[in-house]
Amino acid sequence: MDVQSNNFIPAARIAIRDPQLQAALHASSTNSTRARAESLFAFGREHGEHMREQAAEAKRRALRRLPDLLERAEARMQANGMRVLWAEDAAEARRLVLDVIERHGARRIVKSKSTLTEEIDLNTALEDGGLDVLETDLGAYIVQIAGEHPSHIVGPALHMSKDTIRDLFVRELAMPPTDDAEQMTQFVRERLRQAFLGADLGICGGNFLIAETGSLCLSTNEGNGRMVTTLPRVLVALVGIEKVIESVDDFTTLAQMLARSNNGQVMTVYTQMIHGPRRPGETDGPEELYVILVDNGRSRIYGTGYAEALACIRCGACLNACPVYRSAGGHAYGWIYSGPIGAVITPLLAGLEHATPLPYASSLCGKCKDICPVRIDLPRMLLDLRHDLVTQGHSPALWSLGLHGWAAVSGAARLFSLARRGLRWGLRLVPNRLPGPLDGWTRYRDLPPAAPQSFYELWQERQKTRDHE
Amino acid sequence: MVPVDDRSGAALRARFAREAEKLGCAVHIADTSAQGVQQVLDLLGGDPAILSWDFEHIPLPGLAAALDEAGIRRVADDPGVRVGITGADAGLAGTGSLVLTTGAGKPRLASLLPPVHVAVLETGRIVPHFEAWAEQQRANGAHLDAGGTIVLIGGPSRTGDIANIPVRGVHGPGAVHVIIV
Ligand code: SF4
Repeated sequence: MDVQSNNFIPAARIAIRDPQLQAALHASSTNSTRARAESLFAFGREHGEHMREQAAEAKRRALRRLPDLLERAEARMQANGMRVLWAEDAAEARRLVLDVIERHGARRIVKSKSTLTEEIDLNTALEDGGLDVLETDLGAYIVQIAGEHPSHIVGPALHMSKDTIRDLFVRELAMPPTDDAEQMTQFVRERLRQAFLGADLGICGGNFLIAETGSLCLSTNEGNGRMVTTLPRVLVALVGIEKVIESVDDFTTLAQMLARSNNGQVMTVYTQMIHGPRRPGETDGPEELYVILVDNGRSRIYGTGYAEALACIRCGACLNACPVYRSAGGHAYGWIYSGPIGAVITPLLAGLEHATPLPYASSLCGKCKDICPVRIDLPRMLLDLRHDLVTQGHSPALWSLGLHGWAAVSGAARLFSLARRGLRWGLRLVPNRLPGPLDGWTRYRDLPPAAPQSFYELWQERQKTRDHE
Repeated sequence: MVPVDDRSGAALRARFAREAEKLGCAVHIADTSAQGVQQVLDLLGGDPAILSWDFEHIPLPGLAAALDEAGIRRVADDPGVRVGITGADAGLAGTGSLVLTTGAGKPRLASLLPPVHVAVLETGRIVPHFEAWAEQQRANGAHLDAGGTIVLIGGPSRTGDIANIPVRGVHGPGAVHVIIV
């Protein structure tokens, strides 16, 4: 998919006027955020924060030792019979996949959801090559038959209502009309079951790669990930180089943090550690297993002040918590990554000039950093990107557009005016910090001194005196 | 990791059962093998065929004979089969997860293709959490990557992809029964 992030502001304007989208966004983000807090802090705040600390440390340690861990992972995987390939960029990754497909004469391909394959636009390349490619995660499947792109890294179809999906299934798949989500799911189950059984090659991503054991780890809920990694004769896994972690113990911490932060599950329903192709005596599992380690800009980011963005485990929590994402939705960000992490990683991966509004797609309220399971300092990086925009000369017009944009989109204007009204009282007590939920705000911006009365209040008073005259 | 304070056998079993039920598993306790076999037969109803692990990997002596007697066949990968029967390498008390490793005689499909998965778990294989199990494997000199695939299963397959409505049994089993022996 082409990067359309420079359209953020007009796209967001349209999105905030779409009542159906607004309802869907509200429901899914509030649900996920509440469930996340309940599950993360089920054993008390301290325990939850401690787990988070462990997860953050595991990922940071992994990044510090990245080159070394990648080599160890590669050696283990090869010892276990996997074929390891390296792709420097998207084009090379696509070519490697096509080579494998050709070598095995595969025609029918089933995929389990992988954001990396969206990033490198793999489906288009496969379809252009005349191959049948089927997404099998329910959300990704819905988005694929609708001819759209995922709007959320975890829930690709979260922007669609049940009615929209029903109409889509009836129209495109001749589903017997039903309003029942369970029957709709059953209908898809039957269809995709046939596809799994007939597929000759599977493509998946990877949530983690463990250097200690060479494990390719997948956290999934529906079971399609297991089908894709079990039924077809050949399996190709595409994994970003930043996914490597050191040990099995790190994995158990991170796998739990991923599930909890995403939607409050203790663990995903299926947590797989794959250690190679089918062994002698086994009757199922892929006969050939390729792992393609994809760089595509990651090692460039690794050498900059934005390296911590590579710690992201794609849990989606910062999206669900972000007031801008909650209003604008995922598509407005113009590429596959949305929300705060999208606003940081899109300019880094796709080029700042292709995503100039995104560093401003934030009110810097600090919620993303507060919720991130690996404590990535997203607000800091958004500020640095704004700085880069200025020094690289992408500025003035976009500055004003950007500021205007985030005010409209995030409801920041309202929040800001509320904050300021409370402020004249608050300021006397706590000069530089806002209380409670607004605290994050002042960590990243200085508050302007409060006027004795706001314009709005002056105006109201004026009107009152007039009425009396 | 999830705190598991009481690590006596009975406490681990109770904790496992509670957590697995929270995830949507049906947990059955079998005091004797005969009772466990009966529970499997009850779950099978009148089904003519099953997918399953080799019986030596399912800790229910007498199961093979009982299925034989009932005329229930074990098939390799018939997609129409309703129930898959497996053992379990471990149960994780803290999270209610089953640990299944693959290998000869332990096919992946038995816990995946049929809409109903029945797992037979020995009480002695219930450990506090995955870290403890991994530690045990290392202590026994076994490499974690010696098995083809390790899968941790936490309840029935589920999705919320249609408007956040929770639905069970998307691609994997919609029902998971754990028989603890
Ligand atoms: S940046 Fe943090 S919160 Fe956002 S998706 Fe990545 S890991 Fe999750």
